[in-house]
This record gives sequence, C-alpha cells and structure tokens, in this order.
Amino acid sequence: MWARSRLTVCTLVAAVLVLGLTSGLVFGQVLERSETLYSNGQQWGPVVGWNPYSSSMNNAMAIAQQDSARVIMFETPYLYNMLDGEVYPLLADGPFTWDNQRTYITFKLKAAAHWSDGTPLTAYDLAYTWDSNIKYSTNAGNNFKDYIDSIIPIDAQTVLVNAKLDANRKAINPLMVAAYLSGNYVIQKAWTQTLEARAGGDATKFLADTAEDVVYSGPYHKFFADDTKVVYVRDDNYWGQDASMWGKLPAPRYLAHTIFKDNAAGSVALAQGEVDVSQQFNSNIQVLWLNYGLPISTYLPGAPYGIGASLPTAYYNLKSPGLDQVAVRKAIAMAVDYPTIIANAMTNQSATFDQVPRSLMNPTPGEQALYDHDAVKDLQWAGNDAAGAKALLDAAGITDTDGDGWREYNGKKLSYVATCPNGWSDWQASIEVVAAAGKDIGIDITTNFPEWSVYQTVVTKSDAPLPAGYDILMMWSDGAGPTQPWGRIRHLLSSEFVGMANNWNGNWGQYSNPDVDALIQAIPAETDPATLKAAYTELVTIYLTDVPSFTLMYRPQNFHAVNESVWTGFPHQGDGTDPPVPPLNLTDGWSIAGLYNLTLVVP
Amino acid sequence: MKGYRRYFLNKALWFVVTLVCAFILNFILPRLMPGDPVAAIVTRMAVGMSNATGVQAIYQQYTELFGTNRPMLQQFFIYVNNVFHGDFGFSFSQYPREVADVIKSAIWWTICLQFPAIIVGWLIGNTLGALAAYLKKGFDKVLMPISIFVSNFPAFGMAVILMVVFGVTLKWFPTSGGYGFDRIPDFSWQFIWSVIVHYQLPFWSIVLIAIGGQAIGMRSMAIYELNADYVKYSRFMGIKDRKIIGYVFRNAMLPQVTGLALSIGTMVAGALVAEIIFSYPGLGYTMLNAVMGGDYPLISATTLIITLMVLIAMFLLDIIYGFIDPRIKATQLD
Repeated sequence: MWARSRLTVCTLVAAVLVLGLTSGLVFGQVLERSETLYSNGQQWGPVVGWNPYSSSMNNAMAIAQQDSARVIMFETPYLYNMLDGEVYPLLADGPFTWDNQRTYITFKLKAAAHWSDGTPLTAYDLAYTWDSNIKYSTNAGNNFKDYIDSIIPIDAQTVLVNAKLDANRKAINPLMVAAYLSGNYVIQKAWTQTLEARAGGDATKFLADTAEDVVYSGPYHKFFADDTKVVYVRDDNYWGQDASMWGKLPAPRYLAHTIFKDNAAGSVALAQGEVDVSQQFNSNIQVLWLNYGLPISTYLPGAPYGIGASLPTAYYNLKSPGLDQVAVRKAIAMAVDYPTIIANAMTNQSATFDQVPRSLMNPTPGEQALYDHDAVKDLQWAGNDAAGAKALLDAAGITDTDGDGWREYNGKKLSYVATCPNGWSDWQASIEVVAAAGKDIGIDITTNFPEWSVYQTVVTKSDAPLPAGYDILMMWSDGAGPTQPWGRIRHLLSSEFVGMANNWNGNWGQYSNPDVDALIQAIPAETDPATLKAAYTELVTIYLTDVPSFTLMYRPQNFHAVNESVWTGFPHQGDGTDPPVPPLNLTDGWSIAGLYNLTLVVP
Repeated sequence: MKGYRRYFLNKALWFVVTLVCAFILNFILPRLMPGDPVAAIVTRMAVGMSNATGVQAIYQQYTELFGTNRPMLQQFFIYVNNVFHGDFGFSFSQYPREVADVIKSAIWWTICLQFPAIIVGWLIGNTLGALAAYLKKGFDKVLMPISIFVSNFPAFGMAVILMVVFGVTLKWFPTSGGYGFDRIPDFSWQFIWSVIVHYQLPFWSIVLIAIGGQAIGMRSMAIYELNADYVKYSRFMGIKDRKIIGYVFRNAMLPQVTGLALSIGTMVAGALVAEIIFSYPGLGYTMLNAVMGGDYPLISATTLIITLMVLIAMFLLDIIYGFIDPRIKATQLD
C-alpha cells in the first residue's frame, strides 16, 4: 500500500516536472544580464502611470521635463548638455534661429523622426502639444505661458515659436522661450486627441489618466512595472537609428530600475553588481574601489567624484532680530567649518571652496567663466575663521555687553534656531556645523529638525514673516540648465517671491534689493557677453556683500557611480567623447548619448 | 445558552461602539498633524518650474481636487459617503493611484511575510518556553538568557546582522527585494524559488525576535501553572503526568493566545524594519510614507483596516473565550 502511494507521488512529481519543462514553467522570464542596464536612485516608489502631460505619474525614468529632460521614452526637440552649456538637436534638424528682434524662434524637425506607431512626427504634433499644455494647465504650460505666446506649424517640418512680448515689443524672456525646446516633450497629436476624448474635456481626468496606450517617439517603452521594479524595453523600430541622429540603437535591450527603500539598500546592490548606474548618494563611495577592489567608479577619479551643479544653501530669515545686520550674517558664514561639512555630510563628494570660490555660479566651467573672479576676490571668505568673524562683529559694535558669553544687538541676545527637515542626514550634519560656528563667535545657535511635511509648509509661506524657530534654514538651489545661472540667481535673490502665499521658487529668507531685481530683469534679453559678464559680476558682488544666504556645499546634478562588471564605456572625465557626455544617468539631456557608447565587458 | 446570547450581544454592542469611535478618530487624527500634504505634492511637481504663478496654480488645482480647502466637517461627510461605497479615494502621495489599488498591491506581501512569521514565532517560542518550564535544569539555563538577549535585540539590528552575515558575507541569500532583481513575475518554479529565497532573511529577522518574547512569556505562565494547587492535587490523585501537562499548558496558553490574536490583528501594519532593510515590498513602508507625507486617505484606510482586524480578532477571541473558559463569561456578565 505504502509502496503504491510512493509510486503515485513520484509519478505525479515527474509529470509536473516534465510539463513544466515543456511549457517553460521551470525557467520563467529572466532579464538577460547582458541585455539589461540596471539603475537606482531615480525611482523611489511604484510607477503610477505613463501620461507625459502629467507631473504626477511618479515615473522618474520615463517622465521628467526639466533642464536636462529625461528622454528614454518621450523626446524633446533639443538636448541640453550641462558640461558645455550647449543644446544639440534631437527631434530638431539643426540649430534653432531667432529673428533679428529676438521675438520668435524657428527650427526644422528631422524628416526621419517618427512615432512608435510608425506615423511621422511633425510640427503639428509640437504645436498641439503646446496648445494642450495651455488648455489643460500642465506644468509645462504653467511654467512657460508667461513667456511663450504660441507655437505654430509653418509646415509639417517647420516650427515657429512666438515669444510673449512686453510693451516695447521685446520678448519678455528669451532665455525661457529657448529653454522650452530642450526641457519639454513633443507628444503625438493623434494620441492626445484620443486622451481628450477619453477624458471628455475634463482637465483633471486628462491629467489623471495613466495612459497605458501612450504613443512615444523615444528608444524605450514600458515592459513591466510593479511595487519592486520598473523595466523598459527598447523599441527596435526607433527612428533614432537613422543616420541623421544616432545611426544605431542604444546598446542595452532593457533598462531596469529596482525600487529600493533607502540609500543603504541601493549601495549594497551597487556593490553586489545588481546595479550598473547609481544615481543616489553612496556614502564614502571611494571605499568600494579602494578597500574592496570593486570595478566601481565615478565621473571623476578622486574627490569630488562628480561635477557640482547645485548649491545647497543656508538662508537667513532677514526679519529675525540681528539677522537684518550684514555683519552678523557674514560673521556666521565666515565662522562655518566648510571642510567639515564637505567631509562629513558629503563624504567629500563636493568641491571645496578653495577649489571653487563661492559665488552664485555652480562649478561647471561654463558658469565659472561668466563672472570676474578677481573683482570679487576681496569679498571671499575661507570659512572656519572665528577670529575674523569676531573682529567683524566687534567692529560693528555687536559685542557681549552683559558678560554672559553671548553677543547682543540693540540690547537683545543674538539667539537663533538653525533648521532643516528631519531625516535629511547630510543637511542635518551641515546645520549642526552652522550651529557650532555660532557658538565659536558668541552667537547662540541651536538646531531643530521638523518633519519635511511641516518644514516645507512653513518655509514656503512667504506672504508673512517666518515664524520663530526658522532663523537659519536650509534649502536647495537650481542645478545646471539652459536658463542658468540666471534661473538660480533669480530663485536665490529675486524679490518677486516675497509676498507669495505658496512660494516653492526660492528667496525663502525674503531678501529684497531693487538693484538685484533690475539685473535679474535685464539678463534674459542680453546677448552681449561682456555686458552679461559685468551683470553677473555685479550680482556676485552684491551677494557676497549682503550675504542674504550662503552656499554650504556643491552638489552634483545627479550622483553618478557605475559598476563595470557587466557594461563598460560609461561617461568619465576625459573619456574622449565629443561633445562630452555628462554624468546624468545616461537618461537626461545629452547624457543619453552614453547609452550608445556602452559595450559589454564580456561580449 | 441564554447567558451566551447576552454575552454575545454585549460584546457585539461594544464592538460597534469601538468601531464608530475608531472610524472617527481614523479620520480626524491624520488631519490634526501639522503640515500641508498638498504642499508636499506641489514641491515634487514644481521641480524645475520657474514660473511663480504657475506653481500657485498647481497648488490650487490640487487643494481643490483633494478637497483639503473645504471645511473639516464637509470633508468628513464626503469621506463617510465614499467609504460606504467602498471608495477610499485617491492617494495623495501616489496620485492618481487609488488608495484601494495601493493597498491591494502591497498587502499580500505584508500578509505573506507577517502571518507565517507570527505563527512560526509563536509556535516555536511557546514550545521552547513550555519545555524550559517543564524540563528546567540545563535547558532552561541556556534558553532563558538566549531568549532574553534575542527578544531585546532591536529589530533593525537583527535584520542588519542577518543581511551582513548571510547576504553580504556568505552570499547564501539575496540582500534585497521580494524576488530576483533580474526576474519578471510569472508562474514558474524559478520565480517561486526566487520568492522563497528572498523571503528567508526578512522572515527570520522577524521570527527570531518573536521567539524570545514568546518563550519568556510561556515559561513564566507554565511555571506558575505547574505550581498551582490543582496540579499538586492531581498528582496526589495519581493522575498521569501527561494528562496533567495537558491541563497546565492549556491554561498557560490563554494569555499567549490573546497576544497571538493581537499580533494577527495588527499584522497589516507591516514589518517596517524588515521592509526597509531588505527593500521588501509591503504595506509598512507605504504607511510610513503616507504618515510622513500627510496622505490622509491612505492613512485613514490603512488604520481602518488595522482597527477592523484588531476588533474582529478581539471580538472572536472574546466569543471563543466565553466558550472555552466559562469563568470569563460569568465575570463579564456580573
């Protein structure tokens, strides 16, 4: 009886195995490692949808309309290259041209460009995309409607972009008009009409549609997405393999992004070869190759390992008693130990202020060339200079009058709270260093770290003075882009944001200076390099003199570490690419050119 | 049987009263948190935007859409109406995903991780605790310190140790994910095997800690019962040891069963530490993000599920207790 049962069980197991083998049940579906490029650091939660009009799809790899737009699925007319500050044609055929008065732009589209459904990509698509952006109040529409009047197809291949004009018949902001072309997608007119029909003209439904049927022009599209990963597969009919663009298909068949829940898990996966391109902060990244001998590298071989693009900044609340005094603001900034911030908070993944003196510019050569370094040399401070800071305060008459060890201004003790969101560990470490600097010079600075949901609600309310507890606060600044450094300077200093109930733009310390506003107003229309340089130098001079805020470190546009166990040919400094491929995950702006340079370590 | 009906109705009434209170609190408490959830959404969406009025337009659009600009009472009645229609609305943090969809995709991972871990931890822990009480001597002397040590271990510490030892150093198990990083889910042996392998470290990181606590609790209860008068009396009566042990552990088990019911009731809250350390999919991390981001609909829905599960578990426990231990019913009805 027992023997018969065993025989039956064995037969059943064998039958299931045979069935499984013959039906592919045993092996299932595997992404071949030699065909897949794995990323991390971009997608931190499940993908919500595929609608390129909507900014709430949380589809980081596919949808990001920004200075260097992410172009694996949807494409822009031009690609911005943060390394040389130039834009290169993608859907466009050749450079765009302004008319003599700089009131409109014209450019051609590539004849080879077509959609994933095989239909040609035309100027009608581009014009309809703009009209839809306005009609449905998309981010792109809201962002550019003050600067672009209309986008009109001259013929199927020719596009006319009309700038909005001021009372003097001049473009309000030519910089922003041009920036639209490298930061915003072209979306198919026919599919947009399908979406409109589905939404029944309702803007909310239009933007909430998950667009699983979307037509795209880029080299990749959806293959799979769940709570743990998102995978994109190459479209082997991609138009870009035409000789007028890349001349071939990108190397990886799949782009995959595992969804990790914190940086630590992502770092372990990078070290184990489960991630090829890492766009997250990997603490002490150099340990991976120096101590463990792993084939991991960054864009630069040594510190700061990457190209700094943005300027995480400590803003002073200019309404706080005492912080309305330049001497107090500058003294605190002078006393801060920047090397400690860079070593601890950024594990040296930031250029030092000896390497790149502070200004309003990021460390890229293009921006650094925009101002006269010598003209502001005397305004610079080295940091960690408690003696200099004390002397400055003493000279301003801000001294300890009651002998309690803390300085007073107008009889009131200088006592502040420095703050940033809780859990933002690199920022918290920076703020602690700022607080320590205060104590060195007789200014009582304590720290407080509210949750982000609370912090941002308070900081972005610029129609009233900041409340108690927000004397020195840390926020970000713009990175690299076609409107930079103008956009960054505007966001750091323009008084147009003071008085806004919901201010996510900048100038959170509520600085106001008519001279600065005038320069910010004038720069976008200026074309003479010498005049531009003079304007930027003046802005840097004012910034370093008034010190309404100060840069704590330089931060890359994207972190970029690569594991060359499977793929090689990633962007590195001096890799011989021309134009140089920037270290932006091989997905953003001109960085996507890197996907065409990859080869397998073991072919 | 009449007494049971009264006991049952009494419990049912309290169940309903507690549920109503919990339902109201589930709605109100998240909304009392400081911070503006729509601001968080706008921050995410406004990245790269230069136009000040444009950003404000987005803010207004979403406050209108989510109804956060309406009075709280109005929001509550909308919420009640929607919940009775089985609609928890859109998740703020994962808009335009619906709350039901967010929960549906994460909850199975959580249940499949938590339920077996709770049961296995409970069974092993109680067995070890009972053995320690009964066998005493060497077994007890070894088990007790280990149990105290392990049960007091922080969950993240245990998870990190398991990951470093068995994942990074020995490479026996993968360090992250619910299944292979290079796999697409399908109904194949290899995928199932991949899920099983990825399951091990998160599972044992929960079980090992649970075992210690259960063992300590069971040991104390069993020692108390072993010294009870009825045990001594039974021995004098000449009843066999095996029979006596059966009585002892049934009585010692009662508080442990209450703990088990509570654990099962709260299990959908997720194993947050295991989820984070091993990047394991599940509801715990989703809930954490919902709380941090002020995602009211998602918080309300998940806490409502937890409330319901705890209440149902406790209600069933009360009913079962009424049957298995008439003293409890009698005390409650007095």
